[in-house]
Amino acid sequence: MTLELMSYHVIGKKTIRKDGVAKVTGREKYASDIYLPNMLYARVLKSPYPHARVKSIDTSEAEKIGAVVITFKDVPDILFCPRLVSTPEATYKDWRVLTDKPSYVGEPIAAVAAETEEIAQKAIELIKVEYEVFEPSFDPLESMKDGKPKIHEKIILNDKEVIIENNIACKLELQEGDLEEAFKNSDVIIEREFKTNRGYHNQLEPKTAIVNPEPDGGLTIWCTTQSIHNTRLLISEIFKIPISKINVKKVALGGGFGSSIQTNIVVPIAVALALKARRPVRLAYTKEEDMHEHSSYQMIFKFKIGAKKDGRLTGGYMINIMDIGAHQIQAYPLLGTCAGWWVSLYKLQAMKYSGIAVYTNKVPSCAYRGYGNPQVTWAVETIMDELAEILGIDPIEIRLINYIGEGDLFWGQGPTVKSVIKSCGVEEILKKGALLIGWKDRPRPRDQKGRFRRGIGMARGYHTSSAGAPISSQVIDYSGAILKVNEDGTIDYITAMVDHGGGTLEAHAKIIAEEIGVPLKNVNIVSADTQTTVYDVCTHASRGIYAGGGAALNAARQVKKKILELASRILDAYPHSLKIRPDEERGQGIVYVEGSSRKEITIGELATLARIKNWGTIAAVESYRPPACPPHFTGYFVEVLVDTETGMVKPLKVVIGADVGTLINPDLAEGQLHGGFMMGWSRAILENLNYSKDLGDMECKGFIIDYKMPTVMDIPDEIKTFFVETYEPTGPFGAKGLGEGAQNPAIAAIANAIYNAIGIRFYELPITPEKILEKLKQSKEIEKLDLEKEVVKSEVA
Amino acid sequence: MKIKLIVNNVEKTLDVEPNELLLNVLREKLGLTGSKYGCGIGECGACTVLVDGEPVLSCLTLAVEVDGREITTVEGLDVNGELDPVQEAFLEEGAIQCGYCTPGFIMIAKALLRENKNPSRSEITEYIKGNLCRCTGYINIIKAIQKASEKIALRERNII
Repeated sequence: MTLELMSYHVIGKKTIRKDGVAKVTGREKYASDIYLPNMLYARVLKSPYPHARVKSIDTSEAEKIGAVVITFKDVPDILFCPRLVSTPEATYKDWRVLTDKPSYVGEPIAAVAAETEEIAQKAIELIKVEYEVFEPSFDPLESMKDGKPKIHEKIILNDKEVIIENNIACKLELQEGDLEEAFKNSDVIIEREFKTNRGYHNQLEPKTAIVNPEPDGGLTIWCTTQSIHNTRLLISEIFKIPISKINVKKVALGGGFGSSIQTNIVVPIAVALALKARRPVRLAYTKEEDMHEHSSYQMIFKFKIGAKKDGRLTGGYMINIMDIGAHQIQAYPLLGTCAGWWVSLYKLQAMKYSGIAVYTNKVPSCAYRGYGNPQVTWAVETIMDELAEILGIDPIEIRLINYIGEGDLFWGQGPTVKSVIKSCGVEEILKKGALLIGWKDRPRPRDQKGRFRRGIGMARGYHTSSAGAPISSQVIDYSGAILKVNEDGTIDYITAMVDHGGGTLEAHAKIIAEEIGVPLKNVNIVSADTQTTVYDVCTHASRGIYAGGGAALNAARQVKKKILELASRILDAYPHSLKIRPDEERGQGIVYVEGSSRKEITIGELATLARIKNWGTIAAVESYRPPACPPHFTGYFVEVLVDTETGMVKPLKVVIGADVGTLINPDLAEGQLHGGFMMGWSRAILENLNYSKDLGDMECKGFIIDYKMPTVMDIPDEIKTFFVETYEPTGPFGAKGLGEGAQNPAIAAIANAIYNAIGIRFYELPITPEKILEKLKQSKEIEKLDLEKEVVKSEVA
Repeated sequence: MKIKLIVNNVEKTLDVEPNELLLNVLREKLGLTGSKYGCGIGECGACTVLVDGEPVLSCLTLAVEVDGREITTVEGLDVNGELDPVQEAFLEEGAIQCGYCTPGFIMIAKALLRENKNPSRSEITEYIKGNLCRCTGYINIIKAIQKASEKIALRERNII
C-alpha cells in the first residue's frame, strides 16, 4: 500500500480548498444570504406554553396592516416526519407545519409574511390567541407515569395509526445469546447508571428558508439542509406538489452537526406562506428561535456488564431511556444505533437491550454529531476503566483484550445495518497514543494532594462510515454523481451531496482527479440542485467521503473508460494500452501511449475533437450504494488539570489518533479532530439545556449568552493528532469517514482524566465545576471520617 | 434618514430607518452578505466589520451611528483579486470549515494585526475570544493569525 500511496498525485496531499476563496472573501452564499426581488419577510408566532391547546385565534388585526397570515387552519392537515433517511416502517410521523396543540415552548402556531421584517413582527404581535394550558412534563420518567397528560394521542407509522400510551414514543428490544449464563460465568459484574446532557448544536447559521413560487405551480427553495433531495420529497409529501416541480438549490451550509438532517420547520412554513402570498418568502430564524428548533437527545442508561478475571467481557444488559422532546425526528432509529454503538465497541457473548423513547414538553431532539455514540461511548468507556481498576489490568490492555476489530461484525446504523470489518487500526492508535501522552507515567487516582491535580485519561471509539451494507436495511443510503468533460479539458462534478464544511467535496474532487489522471484544479465542483442531480440521501453518518466519494469514483471510472475509448481512435492504439497523466503546467490530463512520446493528446483536445467529429460529450452518471459500513476508529488521550478550589478543569494536552483508511485531505482531517475535541470538551464540561419548570422553557430561554459554548480561551495548551495507516478495501482509494469518530470518545477520555486527577467518577453530564466541588466536599468528609476512625483506633491501641 | 458611508472605499448615500442596524444595511441595502448574522446580540462575532479601522459588531450598531465613517467588510480586503495576507493565511492553515464564522474572524484578525504586528498566542486568544467557531476548535485559526502576522512582516520588507 505504501508504494501505491506514494504514487498518488493528489490523494493525501494538502491543497487549498476549492470553496476557500469564496469563503475568505465573503462571496460564499449560504441560505441566509439569499434575498429575492419582490420578496416578503416572514415571522412565526410561537407557543409561549410548553403544553397547551389553542382555543381561539384572531388574525384580523395582523391582516389589517397588510400581512399575509397563516395558522394551523391553513396548512395541510397531515402528520409527517421531517426526516426521511429511514424507510417507511421506521419513520414515525407526529409533526404538523403549524399546530393548534403546541407541546413545547416555541412550537409554531401561526406565521406571517410582510413587506418588511418589522411589519411582519408587528403583525405577529397583533395576533390574538387564547390558550387552554395543560400540565407539562419535563422528565421522561415522570412523563411515562400513568395519568400524565398526553403529549400525543395518535401518530402515524407506515400509513397506519399508532396509539400513544404513557407518552412512550417507541420502543426497541434486542437480545442475543444466553445472558443469564454469561452473567453466571462472570467473575465480576458491574452495574452503573448514567445521565447525559441535552445539548444545542449551536451551528453558527440559524435555520433559514427562502421559497420562490414558480409560474407552473412549482417551487424553488434555498434552505439550510443536509439533504436537498429529502427536502424536496418532504415538501411534496406535505403539500401534494409533484416532486419534479420542486427544485431545492444547494447552498453552503453554516454548520450542521445533525441539526439539518431533517427538513427544518422553517421550510414548510415558508412554503405555506409563499403559496398563499404567491410571492417569494424569506424566513430566517433568530438565534433564540433556532435554539427552540432543535436540541440533542438526553439519555438515561442503565448498564450491567460482566467480566472474567482475565479481563474478558462476558455479557451485558443495557437499558436506554431517551428524552426525545415533543416530536419524533429519528427516535426509533436512534434506539437501534445506541444498541449498535454499545455492542460494536467490545465483544460480548450475550447481550440484552431495552430502549424506550419518551415524549416530554421540550424542544424536539435530533441527531447531534455522533448520533448517540459519544454518550454510549462515555458510559462504556467509563465502565471499562472501572473494570480495569477492579481487575488490576491496565485500561489500555483491557480494551485490547476485548475490542471489536478486523473480521468482526459491526453494526453501522442499528440492528439492520451490519457488515464485517475489513480495516482496523485500533491497536496502533492505542499504543502510539499511549506513548505520546506519557501513559506509563500518569498519576495514580487519589495519589495527589494540593489544590491543582493533574490527570490523564483515555478512551477509544469509532463511528460508522455511511449506513451502507451488503443488503438493504431500514436506512436509505446511496449517493449520486454526474461528471462531464468540458472542451477545455476540465471536468464538471455535479452532486447533491452537501458539504458541512469538513471538505467532503474537496475529497471527492481529489478522488476524481486521481482516478482520471487530471490536475486537481481541472475538477470543477459546480452548482447543483434537485433538478440537475441524482439522489443523495443526506450528509450524515460520516458518509461523505466513503459513500459520496464512492459515487464520485465510480463516475470517474466510467468517464476514464470513455476518454480512453475516444483517445484510442485518435492515437491509433488499444484503449486498454493507454494511460492518463496529469500535467500541472499545461493544466491538462494527457492521454498517452506508454513508451511512445509522440502519441499523446490532452483531454481538452480530445473533448474538442469529440465535438467536431460528432462523437458526443464525455459524461457519466452514477448512483452508488456503498457495500458496507466500515468503522473509522479513533483514540483519545487527554491530560487535564483540576482546580480543587474552584472545580474548574483545564485541558493541558490532547493526543488524538485516528484510522480513517487512506487519508485524502490531511489538513482538513486534522481540523475534524481539533473541532471534535472542542465539541467533546464542551459536551463533557460545559453544555446543558436545563429546563425550568417555572418558565416551562430552557433556563437560557434560547439566549446564547447563557448557553456555555467553548471559546478560544478553552483550547488545550497542546494538541497532537496522528493518523495510522490502513486501507479500507470497500472505500474510494481505501478511504473511510471521520466527522463523527473525530469526537465520539472525547467525553469519555475527559471524564476518565478527571477521575485520574481526583479519584471521583461522574455519572451525569456535564461535569461542571459545581458538581466537582460537591463531590470533592463529600469525599473530604469521608476522608475526615476515615481519619477520625484511624485516630480512635490508634487511641484504643 | 439620509446617511453617507464609505464602504470598502466607495462612498454610498443611503436612506435608512433610525432603528436600522449596520449589519442589515450592509447585507440588504448594499448586497454585502459576507458579514453574517449569527446571534444578533453581540455574542458570536460573525458580524464583525471595521469602522475607521476599529472592530465593531455590526449587529449591535445602528447605521445612523456610523454616518460619515469608513466601513471595511470582508468583501473589501482583496485588491484586484489579490487576497489579503490574513485571507491567504486562513486558506493555507485550514482555518476554514463551514466558513460562516470566517468573515468575522478575518475582520477581528485584521484589527488585531493593525494594533499589534506580532501578537503572542495569548494576545491572539485574548483578542479573538469574542468570536465563536463551532467547527475548527480554534486551533488552526490561531495558526492562521500567526502566519498572517509573518506574511505581513515579509511583505513590509518586500520579501514576498
